[in-house]
Amino acid sequence: MRPMGRRPDVSIDLRGNPCPLNWVKAKLRLEEMRPGMLLEVIVDDGRPAENVPRSAELEGHKVLQATALGDRVSLLIERA
Amino acid sequence: MGQVYFDHAATTPPRPEVVEAMLPYLEDRWGNPSSLHATGVRALEGVERAREHVAALLGAQPEEIVFTSGGTEADNHALIGASLALEQKGRHIITSTVEHHAVLDSAKFLERRGQAVTYLPVDREGLVDPDAVRQAITDSTVLVSVMHANNEVGTLQPVGEIGSICREHGILFHSDAVQTVGHVPIDVGATQVDLLSLSGHKLYGPKGVGALYVRRGVRIASLLRGGGQELGRRASTENVPGIVGLGEAARLALGDMEWEIEHATELRDALINGVVERISDAAVTGHRTQRLPNSASFCIGGVEGESVLLSLDAAGFAVSSGSACTSGTLEPSHVLLAMGIPPWRARGSLRVTLGRGNTRREVDGFLQALPPIIARLRSMSPMGASQVRTGGLK
Repeated sequence: MRPMGRRPDVSIDLRGNPCPLNWVKAKLRLEEMRPGMLLEVIVDDGRPAENVPRSAELEGHKVLQATALGDRVSLLIERA
Repeated sequence: MGQVYFDHAATTPPRPEVVEAMLPYLEDRWGNPSSLHATGVRALEGVERAREHVAALLGAQPEEIVFTSGGTEADNHALIGASLALEQKGRHIITSTVEHHAVLDSAKFLERRGQAVTYLPVDREGLVDPDAVRQAITDSTVLVSVMHANNEVGTLQPVGEIGSICREHGILFHSDAVQTVGHVPIDVGATQVDLLSLSGHKLYGPKGVGALYVRRGVRIASLLRGGGQELGRRASTENVPGIVGLGEAARLALGDMEWEIEHATELRDALINGVVERISDAAVTGHRTQRLPNSASFCIGGVEGESVLLSLDAAGFAVSSGSACTSGTLEPSHVLLAMGIPPWRARGSLRVTLGRGNTRREVDGFLQALPPIIARLRSMSPMGASQVRTGGLK
């Protein structure tokens, strides 16, 4: 389920990227997007799934949803 | 009045935007990109943004870019790293006689360690024959390395055809593209290249930084060990300001390339035609059309290239008599000799490589300055006018 049925504007798969490289790559995509746009980030479950949303929120973005998909997690981040 | 700089194959001036992009990483963004804290992450952002820009210039994925200390390290890494990684599969590599010494000396190093190396000849214009690559391949060949453009004579090699032959045979293909990245379009997918070297300071970026493109799935041995940087492919704390500068240079090059090619080609052709018209026994070296847009090179009869260089320097023009990496040696250029140019003739070599800041007026000034210099040197030279050919190679 997407929040309010919104589909992500951009989607990136960052599985295999260690912390904090995964967050940096997500941040570079967010910088290219306009405020309010949605970025879907797929990360490995575990530490990346904890660190990436935390870093995103620290920089003022909204993490709208985190969905566990087996060994990976899909994060939906709204660009601040 | 400053010197007119016509030696862009040796190095290029860093663009102001490049310097501006680098400065924050020498000031407040000085962190170690491997650190997990915010100070480190700020440096890592610069590195990863640069990786994206370099990848975009090559049509590659960011993960396929390994930053190095320059083109030489990238070439060493490609040849030695691939040979070490594949020595169980085979111990034969193929390269050409006109490569930069960063490739040739790596090949010689491997030869001393028991690898077999085939050095392919070139024709009079400096071209490698793709069929010769095909014929040189044996069951134990693991790598072919042929440069994209020659640094001395500017000839562009048929890398697309060579890449396709290598792919057909399941052999890695490396190309030293130090002279071409940022100057002519490169698409690593279309070229079917597996490894490609580039250098920051050849595309208006800083010195001390370069990159090796390593196609996804290709595994080569690391030359530098002692850290997990570059996803374990090259240990050592990253040269963050340099990498950021290279990234910015790559971003700018992508935007300006079309204009730069047009500009350089116009100046190059005016320069080549002007020299050949004004100087008797001045022969263009390298391929007449299949060459770098900014590169003009000649062999001039009856003079020493180094004397011409020094006289032009005094007249306000910075040129080269060949590769900057081999200048100071008394030996004639290995590239010119490989092209079948006799040693006495190769000694009169002159390389003029243009850049984005050069103008038609500067080219015209050069064309006025050169003839009296050549006439004076010929009158003084022990080689003398007797070695000046009439109706030489044009």
